[in-house]
This record gives sequence, C-alpha cells and structure tokens, in this order.
Amino acid sequence: MVVLRAHMCPGLELQLVRDLRECVCNAYLCVKALLAIRRVLLAQHTAFPVSGADLYEDLLSSTAILSTGHPRLDELLDSGLYTGELTELSGGPGTGKTQVCFGVAVHIALHLKQGVIFIDTTGGITATRLHQMLQTESSSLEEQIAALQRIHVFQLFDVFSLLDCLCSLRRSGLQPVAVGGACVRAVIIDSVSAVISPLLGTRHTEGMSLMMQVAALLKALVKDFSVAALVTNHVTRSVGGAVRPALGVSWSHLPRTRLLLEGPDRSTHSFSSLRSATLIKSSRQPCHMRVEFDLSWWSRSKEVPSAKRKHS
Amino acid sequence: MQRPVWSLPLSSAVISKLNRRGYQCTADIEHLTAGQLSTETGVKEEEASEVLDLVDHQRYPVSITALELLQREAELKPIVTFCSELDRALGGGIPLGKTIELCGVPGIGKTQLCLQLAVDVQIPECFGGLGAQCLFIDTEGTFFLERLREMAAAVVRHCSLLTEDQEQQDAMRTFTVEKILSNLFVVRCDDSMELLSQISDLPAFLSDHPEVRLIIIDSIAFPFRLHFEDLPLRTRLLLGAAHQLAALATTRNTTVVMTNQMTTRVQGEGSRLIPALGENWGHAANIRLLLQWIDCKRMATIIKSSSHMSTTVHYQINTDGFRDLSEASKRAKVQTEDQKAVGNS
Amino acid sequence: MTPYITVTPGERGSGHAHLFARLEARRSLKDIEPRLFPDNGGPENGEVVEIFGPEGTGKTELLYLLLSRCILPLSAGGLELSVIFVDADFSLDLFRLVSILDNRLHTTAPSGGPDEALLRSCLSRLLVLHCSSSSQLLLTLHFLETSFASRPDQSLLLIDSISAFYWLDRAEGRTSYSKQEEKLNKCSELLGRLLRDYKITVFATSSSAPSPSPAPSHSSAPSPSSAPSSSAPSPSLDQDKPYLCRAWQKLVSHRLTCSKSEIVPKMATTTASSLMGPKRRRATQFTVHCSSRNKGSRINHFTVTDRGVEFITELNQD
Repeated sequence: MVVLRAHMCPGLELQLVRDLRECVCNAYLCVKALLAIRRVLLAQHTAFPVSGADLYEDLLSSTAILSTGHPRLDELLDSGLYTGELTELSGGPGTGKTQVCFGVAVHIALHLKQGVIFIDTTGGITATRLHQMLQTESSSLEEQIAALQRIHVFQLFDVFSLLDCLCSLRRSGLQPVAVGGACVRAVIIDSVSAVISPLLGTRHTEGMSLMMQVAALLKALVKDFSVAALVTNHVTRSVGGAVRPALGVSWSHLPRTRLLLEGPDRSTHSFSSLRSATLIKSSRQPCHMRVEFDLSWWSRSKEVPSAKRKHS
Repeated sequence: MQRPVWSLPLSSAVISKLNRRGYQCTADIEHLTAGQLSTETGVKEEEASEVLDLVDHQRYPVSITALELLQREAELKPIVTFCSELDRALGGGIPLGKTIELCGVPGIGKTQLCLQLAVDVQIPECFGGLGAQCLFIDTEGTFFLERLREMAAAVVRHCSLLTEDQEQQDAMRTFTVEKILSNLFVVRCDDSMELLSQISDLPAFLSDHPEVRLIIIDSIAFPFRLHFEDLPLRTRLLLGAAHQLAALATTRNTTVVMTNQMTTRVQGEGSRLIPALGENWGHAANIRLLLQWIDCKRMATIIKSSSHMSTTVHYQINTDGFRDLSEASKRAKVQTEDQKAVGNS
Repeated sequence: MTPYITVTPGERGSGHAHLFARLEARRSLKDIEPRLFPDNGGPENGEVVEIFGPEGTGKTELLYLLLSRCILPLSAGGLELSVIFVDADFSLDLFRLVSILDNRLHTTAPSGGPDEALLRSCLSRLLVLHCSSSSQLLLTLHFLETSFASRPDQSLLLIDSISAFYWLDRAEGRTSYSKQEEKLNKCSELLGRLLRDYKITVFATSSSAPSPSPAPSHSSAPSPSSAPSSSAPSPSLDQDKPYLCRAWQKLVSHRLTCSKSEIVPKMATTTASSLMGPKRRRATQFTVHCSSRNKGSRINHFTVTDRGVEFITELNQD
C-alpha cells in the first residue's frame, strides 16, 4: 500500500494533498502520475544506499595517506593524513600549528605533487615562509614555482565567507582550482576556531548551528572528493590547568584524529623551537602517544642543521 | 547537499519571511529575480536583491596561488625599525599586512617603538621607505608630541645625510618634521567601548585615507584591564576586534601594531611575567614581540610568528629613538641603508 | 485529521510478496550481545536502543561490536543478518570495521587466516546510507520502508547519530520550539510505525547534550574525554539529561550510557604523559550502563583493543 500523506516529502503540504486527492477522485490516471512523482521525489532526495562491500572497494582504491613530511608527526598519525578524514591540530599561541600546516602544504605540493587548498582565516599565511621551506627541500627553481602554484590560498575572515567558500568548492568539485594537472588532495583550514569562537557566546544557538553547518560541509567535501582535511583549533584551560581543544563537545565528534601541540616550558628565558605533539583522539593509534619535534626541521639546511637564519 | 537559507548573513526577519514561503535552501531562490522574490515573500525589494547577491556564485571567494601571494608579498616593503638586528630577524622590518603585538613591562620601550614606527613609515620611497601615513590610537595617554618631534628630527637628519641624487633632494625638501606631524593622525580612546567602535570604524577611515599603512593601538590592554568583570566577554570582544584588525591588515596591506601589558602568573613556588589579557589572546596577532630586560639590557624576542624563527636581539633607546645597542652596528646600519638607497634610486 | 489517499500499487505486481514479508517473523536480536544487556533483557523485535555518551567514550566501538555480530556468518559466531547503517555523522570508519571483522574471522577460522571472500560477503550484508540533513533522513526512512517490506532478513537499523542534525534543526526552526523539533518528531513517528509494522530493531547513537545555557566559547560544557590527562570528572547531571524530542524519548526502550575513566591513578600534569607508551592503552577503561525499560539495569566495563570491544569480566575494579 502506498499512502500519500501531508509532509511526506518537502513541499507536500496539506492543501496540496487535498488538491491531489480531488485529482485522484476525478481521474484514475492521476494515481500513476502521483506514484511517479513520489518515486522521483524519493529518488532525488533520499540518501543512496551503498553496499558495504562496494564502499570498501571504493575506499581501498581512493584512500591515500598523505605524509606530513615530518617523520615524527607521521609516526604519530600512523604514517600521515588519511584522505576522507578530518585531522585537527590544537594548541596554544605559538605552539607551531601554522608551521605544521605550512610544512604539510609544502610537502604535499612539492613531493607528492598534489594540489592543496589553504584557507587562512587569521592573516597568518606568508608565501615567503612557504618559499623558504621549499628552498630547503628543493634546489630547482622550476620545482619551487610549480609547488607554489599547487597551493591555492583563500583568505577569509568570517564564517559566512568560509561557508561560501566550502559551498563553491563543493559545487565546482574542487576542479577549477586544479591547474597544471594536479588534483586537490588536501584542504587546510588555519584556523577554524578563529572564525567560529567569536560566534559562540552572545548568540549561542546561531553560532552552534553555523559551526555544525561548517562541519557538515567539510565532512561531506572530504568524503565525496576523497581529500584530507587538516584544521587548527585553539585550546582552553580548565580549572585544573589541563589543556583541551576549544569549541566544545559538539565539535569534538568531528575530527577523526586530534593532536595537541605544546610548546617548551617557558619558565626560562630561552625560546627553543622544540615542540611536543600528543595524540588525543585516534581510531588507529593508542591515545596519549607523544612525540617531540623541532620546528626548525622545516628550515634545516642540508649541511648545517638548525643554523639557518632568516633572510628574505 | 544544500545550503540552508538561515546560514546566510541575513536578519532573522528576512529569513523568517523566506522560510514562511517555503524557501529553505539557496537553490530555491537563485533563479528568481529581486522583483519576484519581493512579491512572493513580502520582503522589501532592496532586501530581496541583497538576498540574491548573497546566493550569487560570482561573489564567492576566489583563491590565489601561493606564487601570486609571493609576488604580492615581494611588492610590499617592510617598515624599518632602525634597529638593524631586529630588522634582520624580521626579514627587513615590520612586514606590511600583518598584525603585530608588542608585549612588555612599563618603561621597556613599547611606546618608543610605536612612535619610531609612526615616523619610519613616512620615510620617502626614494630612501627605501613607504612614504605613507599613520594612525595612532592612544588609550593610555602616553602619546608625547615632544618625543615624537625628537625622533622625527633624527630621522630627517638621517635621511638628509643619505641624500645623493636629485630625486632624494626633491624629497627632502618636503620631508620635514612638520610634514611628519601632519601625516600622523592621533585618536584618543578613553574606554573599551570607544576603542571597539573606533576599530569597527577603521574600514571607513582607511577608505578616506588610503595613504595610511600603519595603525598603532597603544595599548589594547589598558582599557580592557580596568573595570572589566566579565572575563569571557572580554576575551570574546577582544578576539573579535583582533579578527577585524587581521582582516583589515590583510585586505588593505596595512600593518596593525598593538601593545600589551604584562601580568604575573603564579606557578608553583615562583611566579613569572606573561603577556596580559589571557591565554587565548595569544592567538590574536600574527607576530608577537616580547620586549624585556635581560641582565640590565633591553632585549626583543619574537615569541610567535608563522614566518620567522624565534630570535632574541638587543636594542636600546636613546635620544634619537629606537636603535641598535652598539654604535658599531649602527654605523653598519647606515651603510646598508646607503646601499639600499643607492639600489632604489 | 490527516487526509490521505490509499493507493493500490499499480505496477508493483501483487501485494502478496509484500504481505508475506510482513508476516514472516523477523529474526529477534534478543541475544545480540548477552553480556551487554540485563539478564534476558536484550532488545526484542520492534524496540529501540539508544547508545548515549560524550565523544570518545566508546559509543562507536559498541556500535561496531553489535554491527559485526550481526553481519558475521553463523560459523564465526555471528547472526548472518543484513544491517542498514544510516550514517548521519559521516563517521563510519570502514577500515576499523574491517579490522574488527578480520580479527573475529581469524579467531574462528585459524587455518590459513581469514578469507577475503568471506569478508566481502560479510560487508555485502551491510548497507550504508549517508544523510546530510534531517529532511533527507526523513525521506530516507520512507524509502527504507519499501526495503524492509521486501526483505525480511533486514532486521537491524543503525543510526549514527540521531542527534547529528540537532543544531541545524534548531537554526532552521528559528524561534519556534515546535518547529525546531518538527523534523525529528516526524522521523520518530515514522520510525515508530516501521518498528510496529516490520518489527525491526533500531540502534541509535546520540551524543551528549550540548550545554543548554549560552556558554562562553572557551569554557564550553566539560567533556571528560578531551582532557585525557586529568582524571575524568563524572558527567554532570546536565549532560545525562535527554534533550532530543519527546517522541524520540518515547520510542527508546533501552539506554546504554557510556562513560570513560582512566585507571592510571595519577596523571595530573601533561608532562607526565610522555611516560605513556602504547601499552598504556589498556589503562583507558570504558563503562557502559545499560538500563532497560522494566527490565532492570546492568553495568559493564570494557576496553578497546585492535579486536574491538573486549569486556572485562571481573568487576572488582571501580
């Protein structure tokens, strides 16, 4: 039995159903048409069921692990960023989140020769720094230029433009930005909390909804186009002094893998480039795994490690 | 996946009207004209066209490649600080298009550096400067005109020593202390509300004064540390303001310099000085410079920057302004300035 | 009064097969995991089990445990049933599921290791649907009705998670409270009918309640999971409170409340965590509290390993 009720599909309101019933009473033919309409509505708007076996097959062929370019971080992430997943870096100010993002972007663009979309919401991106990192990795100018062309930068400063950006990326299938034959395999957002956290508070419900909308779009983008996403987040300090990622519980479900970056102990006056990363959420590796890494790794020169000084 | 109408930056009255007529997603309205939408939903015609503008794909943000970004950055000259060591650590000076926070205890020279930058940003282009204007937002009442005059005179003197060709001679004729003072806009803000409204007015100010390439807020901390009970609200307001400043800095290639005070954090038995305004404020600026006393010497440390290594350098403050510690390196600086000037002319 | 038209299916042939499917008894999932539910209190046909808890407390692992039990072949201790997985959170980690299945198949068939074909046949019993909005969820449930009608072997519907669209619905409903809950109400009504008519069993996860009052951004509701170094505080009453609409609450007959605790007693400073090696993983113990309507309750502890959920039988730890 097929029962046509109000509100069964979007747009199928009470009055419409009444009209349709009259139609059905008048001419038997309409039933077929009605059924067809229902079928079309269901076909167009329901989720498409996929068998687990097919899904697995697809995943096996489309999943890639993108190395971050830093051996210690790869160790922590079980060899790198997985496509189709969201990885989060959280940490306080100056803990190296942006440096890690730069390093990942450079590695993917230069060594893996894949496109990267870098969404900068803090104004923190500096192409000069990207270029420096490239110079330590490759001595060929053509390679450096090609890698720089594979990194696509969006500079956005509010959540609405972030939504616009994700929507248009989704609509275009990440394609128009992929010049030079490199398809986009990674989306980096630095930082996601900079645009979202100002919303949470005064207009809490609206802020939460916008956050979830960003999350839903991002997850769909990542799944549908099989790209890896890397986002950065701030941290909050609880009363006990323990540090945890910001944006609260609703956000905490979204990233598949979360890393907490911490800086060196600042009690002395020395400022080293040593940082530590702790795995706080993962479905593959034991949690609380911790590695130490050096931010100057990305500016190492081949002969004299960590002695390189900034020049422009 | 469809974009719901509520996720557009519209007033809730407009969203309610759209929803009432069954327009739930942007796909439902993008093919309509403003007139149709207005008669359908009862929103005003202007509002309808505003809605349609928002769903227009032409307006969506576009990306640039990192290569283009690099080229743009190469065109932006940094603002020299007149401390060659600090300039070197920062890759030539304070970069344009970024937000910079200066933290330090009272008397360490935060305001001195601000005044120095306010003068330096005006150095004519033929001397390797920017020839731009500056906006100084004073919240503490520490803006000293006399001190600025001294520094301006020193910079004018410095440039006149370097003058060689005709172009530079022409430039020197107008580059005077009076000119420097007339290119500096000073605003006094007495409390946090005034400061916040001043910040939100900045885009309009910059449109009227496109020559302004440096905005100084001395200090951002003072109005927020007095009589502010609700700390979460304070953090939110401050981070919101910082975000506006970052957007402004990036889109207009203007540098924003903010100063911050220090506060004591008790830690175990001891205590140490950390920048004020809370930990989350640390995310606000692109570059954080800590000015501090180490062994009775003034030191500047880059404690946060996405593009520079963490470095500590010496500096001093003399009658001329913010300078290198030793005279020897100052002379070296003059030489590099010389070469730069030659290179540019 | 709901006006509706009754339509005789025109081109779907006779309604007999349809009728048979409905009458044929669906496999009961009462013994799906006897260790989890109170004695003799497993979910009957037509019942709903809600798995509830904050992030990182083993909800998804429990779901995988139940899922793998259903799709594994009889020879490997499974039920060999078809499962429909509605993935609203985009959270299904198929690789994780495959490794759990692999392990289970391996232990039951040690000779020569697990068979790839066997694994594929398990996976083919799983049907995955991705939903991205609550209207899509509603339509999908409508669509599934035909599927349930024709396939009696589909007796389990998993929804991960039912609370996925909570905030999106809140925004869409604007100020009207009933509008906010409208979609989930309709989904619940429809689910209720599916449960009654087709005697399926539903397992749904639900993340813990968001803070009801406007919380400042940097001190949002406490989540014990995301502060691994501190000893986990017990979830506040606020978080345990059901917040989804009443229609959904009425459907739920079993509730599994998950929480997490660290056994390692002192881990107060983050610097101490550098000592933690991989073997400390066992330190994380999950607790699931199962309360069934009219059937009492039961508390279980488990750990998560590569093999999936492993119950701790002795209950002497606290």
